[in-house]
This record gives sequence, structure tokens and C-alpha cells, in this order.
Amino acid sequence: MARFLIKRIFSAVLTLLAVSVLTFLMFFALPRDPVTGMCPKNCNPERLERVRQELGLSDPLITQYAGYMKGIFTGRDLGSAQGGQCDAPCLGWSYVNNEAVLDTIARVLPVTLSIVIPAAILWLLLGVGLGMVSALRRGTWLDRAAIGFSLTGASLQLYFVGAVLLLVLVYNLRLLPVPSYTSIFDDPVKWASGLVLAWLALAFLFSAIYARLSRAQMLETLSEDFVRTARAKGLPKPQVYGRHALRAAITPVVTIAGLDVGAALGGTVITETTFGIQGLGRTAVEAVRAGDLPTIMATVLIAAVFVVVANVLVDLLYAAIDPRVRLG
Amino acid sequence: MRPRVAAAAGGAIALVVALGACSKNTGEGTTVDTDRQQTGVIATDPKDSMGPAAEVAGARKGGTFTIIRETPISHLDPQRTYSFAGLMTSPLFARYLTTWKDDGKGRLVLVGDLAETPGTNVNNDCKVWEFKIKDGVKFEDGRPITSKEIAYGIARSFDPDLSGGPTYLQEWLADSPQFDTAWDFKKNRTSLPPGLTTPDPKTLRFEFAKPRCDLPFAVSLPTTAPLPADKDTGVNLDTQPFSSGPYKVAKNQVGVQLTLDRNPHWDPNTDPVRHQYPDQFVWSFGPTADAANNRVIADNGADQSAIAFNFVPASLVARVANDPALKSRTILSPTPSANQLVINNQRVKDLKIRQALNYAIDREGMVKALGGQTVAAPMTTLMPPSTIGYRAYDAYPAGPNGNVDKAKELLGGQAPELVLGVADNSTEQRQATQIKANLERAGFKITIRNIPDDSKLDEVKKKGNPWDLYIGNWAADWPSGASILPVLYDGRTIKAEGNSNQSYFNDPGINAEIDRILALSPADQGPEWAKLDERIMKEHAPVVPFYVDVAHVVHGSKAGGVFISSVFGYPSFVNAHVKQ
Repeated sequence: MARFLIKRIFSAVLTLLAVSVLTFLMFFALPRDPVTGMCPKNCNPERLERVRQELGLSDPLITQYAGYMKGIFTGRDLGSAQGGQCDAPCLGWSYVNNEAVLDTIARVLPVTLSIVIPAAILWLLLGVGLGMVSALRRGTWLDRAAIGFSLTGASLQLYFVGAVLLLVLVYNLRLLPVPSYTSIFDDPVKWASGLVLAWLALAFLFSAIYARLSRAQMLETLSEDFVRTARAKGLPKPQVYGRHALRAAITPVVTIAGLDVGAALGGTVITETTFGIQGLGRTAVEAVRAGDLPTIMATVLIAAVFVVVANVLVDLLYAAIDPRVRLG
Repeated sequence: MRPRVAAAAGGAIALVVALGACSKNTGEGTTVDTDRQQTGVIATDPKDSMGPAAEVAGARKGGTFTIIRETPISHLDPQRTYSFAGLMTSPLFARYLTTWKDDGKGRLVLVGDLAETPGTNVNNDCKVWEFKIKDGVKFEDGRPITSKEIAYGIARSFDPDLSGGPTYLQEWLADSPQFDTAWDFKKNRTSLPPGLTTPDPKTLRFEFAKPRCDLPFAVSLPTTAPLPADKDTGVNLDTQPFSSGPYKVAKNQVGVQLTLDRNPHWDPNTDPVRHQYPDQFVWSFGPTADAANNRVIADNGADQSAIAFNFVPASLVARVANDPALKSRTILSPTPSANQLVINNQRVKDLKIRQALNYAIDREGMVKALGGQTVAAPMTTLMPPSTIGYRAYDAYPAGPNGNVDKAKELLGGQAPELVLGVADNSTEQRQATQIKANLERAGFKITIRNIPDDSKLDEVKKKGNPWDLYIGNWAADWPSGASILPVLYDGRTIKAEGNSNQSYFNDPGINAEIDRILALSPADQGPEWAKLDERIMKEHAPVVPFYVDVAHVVHGSKAGGVFISSVFGYPSFVNAHVKQ
């Protein structure tokens, strides 16, 4: 177990390093000069060059990358144009938002967490629940309804579902307030009512995949020998389905869920844009549009951290759920 | 990104002048008002610069006024403010040396803001200017504002760390575009830039090497907002500016929400333009233009006292136009942002061809292609109608759709082959198709060449660029002819790159006339610029005047007092209030 963990953490760090190097390189391949955004209207070439030097953008790439990585672990002095001393973990200074990137992240990360975590709980419950029901009631109208529901969900797009929900529930029926983010610690009711649309929309779309997946898995498991043995031993149905079959059927669902949640935490750009909520995803997209390297780096790295961590967690969960899996 | 006025020497203390087509808060109809003739002045009577500002009919105190916008405001630090959203927000928490009294119906008066008057031209040569600071003006902590803090604000604008803002004052004081090397702010924090002095706490004095007659206009930009040196947090001032206006920053979640609360130390009796009606102003960032406008149209809850800062998008124009209930909640107003079909005069040297282009152009067709009268309004002059001294004329009357016969007659059977350079963005691509079609009707052969959107502006500013025609835009920083014609049509300013004179028009007679007007008594300049405008078009036709951008804004049923600034063409909030 310990050996497995060390191996996984080592490879996770390598992955993150590779991502950081790639992001750095890709940024410099972008056909865009970040400095022109800083003085859009009245710049002459001399001024631009001075700004570029002050920001260290004229330094060799390797120096810039080393400086950035150093900042994360030990902090560094960014100079007066970028807010002076920046303590570890220093993610740099955004010359688009005019603030330390760490401040930006600290603000938008809770937003994305607030959208994704409740939505993930919803879509898992809904998806796996529907899948189970339709597997156990195979061929009935319930099965067909659940399959229809999941087909609809899987074939719709969030920007459409979201817009329809907004139009009906917010603008026409006025049942819900305009989506917005309030901290759960400030006002839990406002937090929930401002985000519930995003949860519903995400849950509807994602649960479809889980319903189909868990239905298929469940059907397959139900036809396996150990299920028949358990039934033959005289175990009651709920115990067979709930304890034995579900545990075996759910492992692939956990894999997909881990990846989905990890990726969603990295950025639910479309959800955030549809509902006009500023989270990590939109921040990342805006940073790319504005050529804001420090913010791009930070958002990409954080997204990568989520995916990598989610993967490790999935592997650990595997062992816990399915006794047939041993980590080594 | 709009090109903005570069330094313009000389200019106007223009007095009584006519203003056309200005802002109009359409109470009833939604048509663009282009016939208004109003007078505009630079206030000479100190009474005009005194507060309080006239009460807005129907306004009451209280409520939260919300402004919804897709993207955040690029800078809140007044010395770095230059975007339209910034320029429209800044007056709520920053005061300047001078400011515009703008009634939203086209009448503009430049008045003293922190200064008692819009400035004294000490020797009548525009080289020495003095401003007397009002009594009773205070910062958000109750400290009095003196000439020292205003001078400090101007001094810090020399700091290259604090880039982004206008550079008129810096360049004029340093007498060089390289102002930040001419005077290093970081090494001289306790002194002032050359030419800027504070003889006493009530007096601010500018001394320039060259005449700068546009100074009273230039100091209406946020560069002149005051700041005590001990409150200067450098680049961090951008998230938390220190207020001298009726509101102060209560909470700033960058990119999400900006909340402004009342500043109790602001005294309405010192302020000729601002009010303090709402308890709170909230800028809410994030929703797309579509979402923001949808919310405001829905008029639901808090959105009833909201305005969408992004203009009504194409997808909603029809809905807004066809809903009679929305008429009273719509503002439609031409802006001072003027667009031309620029002719590269170094390549197209035949006057007849340039005149034929002017006859051939189909302005109505272009307005339609752009999305109709809620997006653009045709123009036939070089200066936009909101300019001081503006006079309407049409040097090549060809009707709304152009006069093909007249153009053909001028071409005399030849078929000039012209290259039209266009940015590869969707708007310009649409425009290019339209322009090509209506010029080819008249016998031109037009080749469209795409230019990457990012670099188009830089490329057309290069002398010797390879295009005959391109679309140009000019939105001046103040509505004086001196900030338009000398910048765009003085041929002596043409250099290798970075040209504002994108038509590369150079005529000794016009250059001399520009000098003559700049040397005139400022009071006489306004109408003279209008005459020169007409003369340039009649004699030389260096461009095809095209259209002005139109502001099209919706607001909630309880959002009152919003009008389109006659200076910048975006919603102004100095009169904003929440209706009962």
C-alpha cells in the first residue's frame, strides 16, 4: 500500500512538472504579445520594450520558468510593477487582473468547488440510482423511461439545457434568483439557491452517462456466478443486489466519476459561462484570451492537480470497493 | 481597442458653439436623434463650477444601482484608467481638475471639478496654466484635498509600473513622448515633474515648453485625480483606489463584483456634476452581453434597478425594438466614435478617384450590414456631430445609397483596381463584402486582403502599407476639433510607423490652415475647425466619412438617470438613481 502510494505520488509530480513545462512552452507559441495588452492605446516601441524587460519577458525561457517554479516553493520578489515581494506559494502577478494570481485563485476556486461537488453528488445518486432501477426492472416501462431519460441527457448540451432552465425558472416563472455565487459560510441558503440551477443542469447531463454505464454493469454482474451462488445460498434479494452485485458493478463507475469530477473541478467553463458565474474555468479561458501567462499557468496546474489527485483516489477506492483488486 | 487622440497642440477654450446629434435619453421613441443643435461652452463664470449639481427630476435617495458587464474594468487606479468602462466608473470615486457637465441632451459645458474654474491661461499663450483648488473638497478619510495631492497624482502617472492611462499631461510636461525617462518618478517621489508646481496648497501650476491650449480638456481625464502620497500602494491601488468622489470602494472581488458605498466626506456643495442618490453601486461582472441584456429585459427583482453596460447584442435587437413595453427602458444615442473608409493617399493620388469613392459608397447599406440604426448612424463629415463647433454638410451628396452614375462620370470610363485591407474579424469581413459590392457597382475593381485582427492597427499605421483602402476609427478623448483634424490630417506628422494620420494625407495649404486655427484665440476655433473639415473634404476627399457607432442600452424599470455620455459614448452614472 505504502509503496503504491509513493509510486503514484512520484508519477503525479512528474505529470505536473510536464504539464507546467508544456504550458509554458505553449504560451510562448501563442501569437500574442502580453505587453501590448498592458498599454493598449499610447505605447511606443521604446516603452513596450522597457515594460517587457521589467516583467522579465525578455529573459531566456529557461530563466523565466526557473523563476516561476522557485516562486511556488520559496516565494520571490516580482518587482514594484508586479506588487513587490510575493510569498510562497507564489503563482505570480496577473497584469490583466492587476492582482496576485494566488488571490484570483483563492476567489474562484471555492466557486468551482461549490458548483462541482454538490452537482457530482447529485449526478452520481441520480445516475447510479436510475441505472440500478432499470437493470433490476429490465424490460419494464421503468427501464425504458430511465433509458429515454439518459439518452435525452446524453444528447443535449449544457448551453442549451442551461439556457432553457434559465429562461423558464428564472426569467419567466421567477422561481429562482439569477444564478450567482455567495459563500456558503456567509449565507448557505443564498449559496444553494444561486447555484442550484447549475447543479441541476450538470446533474441532468452527467447522470445520463452514469445511468447507462451502471445499468450495463449491473446487468453483466447479475449474470455472474457469484450472484447466482449468493441467491442459491438463500441470501435475500436486497442483500445480494445491494452488497454483492453493486460493489462489483460500481468499479467502472468510480473510474469514470473520478475522471469526470477531476476534470470538472479543473474548469466547468461552459457551466460557468452559461450561468454567468466566475469560477476557475472561465478565469482560465479569459486568461488565455488575454495572454495572461501567470493566470494560465496557475489554472492549468490546478486543473492538472485535480485530475492527478482524482486518479490516485480512484485507485485507492478501487481496493476499498472491490476485494478482488489488490494494490501493489 | 480604439485609437485615441494623440497629443494635439493648441485647441479650444471654445465658447459658444453648436453641437449636433448628441445623447438622448429617449423617453418615448427609439430612433436615433441626429438633428439636435445645442450650444456648448467652457464655463467662464466660476458659478458654473460650483455645486451642488441640479437635482434630477424624480430622483430619490436609496437603493442599490447595479451595472452588469461581461468583462471586468481593466483599471480602477485613476492614473491608469483609459477604458470606456473605467472612464464611466471613475467619476463615482474620483474627482478631477475639470469635468464635463453633460445633460444627456447634447449640451456640454466644461467646468471646474476640484478646481474653481476650468483653468486660467496666465499669459494668454497657453504655456502657463493655473488652477485654484476649491475649499471643502475632501478624501474618503476626511482629509482636505489640496493642490499637493493632485500634483502627486499627476507625478505618479510618470511611473512606468502604472501604465495604461492617458499620457497627454506627462508628454506635455516633459515635452517628450519619452516622459518616463525624462523624469523618473521612482527616484523623485518627493519632488514633482518639470513644469508642475504647487505655489501654495490652493494653487496648481503647469508650465509647458510649447503652447498647450487643450489643457483644460486634458485635465478632465482621470490622470488629475488626487492621491495622498501615504495612500499610494503602487500597483495595488488598482484594486482599492482611494476615493475623492461621492462613493468609495467598499468591496472589490476582481472580476466578480465591485461594490461602492457612499463616501460621507464628499460634499455636494463642491461638486457641479455628481450626485449621491443610490446607497450603493454594484458592478456585477461575468454574464455575457446576451445574458446581461436578457436579465435587464426580464426586469426581475434586483435587476429592476440594473443596466446592462454591454450594448444590446444583435440577437436581441429585434426583441427590444418590437416590445413597446421596453421603449421607455431603452436608450439609443449616436456616439462620438467615428468610422471612415480611409483612402491611402500615397497610393490613390487621383482626386477624381477619391471623389468617386465618396459618391459610390452606400452608407445605408453599410448601416444595414452592421445591424441597423441601433448599431450605426451614417455620417458625411470628418468630425463626429458631437464635436464643439460641428456643422453638418455633405461634400458629395449621393443620397443614402450612393450615386453610381456620378461616380462613373468622375471615373470617366476607367476601372481603378484597389486593394481593400480588412481585419479578419467577423464585423470587418461583413463590411468588406458590402464595400466591395457597392464600389464595384460604380466600376471599381476591389481586391480584399485580410490582415490578422491583432496587428491590423499597427500595420495600417505603417507608412508605405500595401493597401489602398481600410476601415478606420477615431474616438477623441475630448470633443474639440483640435483633437481630431490636426491629429488625423496634418501631413507633417507622418513618420515611418505609428501614424494616426492613416490616410497619409499631406497638403501644405491644409497644414498651414491647421497652424492658423491653432494660433487663433481659443474662442474662435470651434467654427473654424468645422470650416476646415468641409474644406478638406471638398478639396481633397482624403477619406470617405462613413458612420458613427450608436449606443443602444436597456435598463431596468427602476433604474433612472442614466444617459449616454456625449464625450465617450457610454452610459454615465453621475445622475443614476433607483426609482421608487
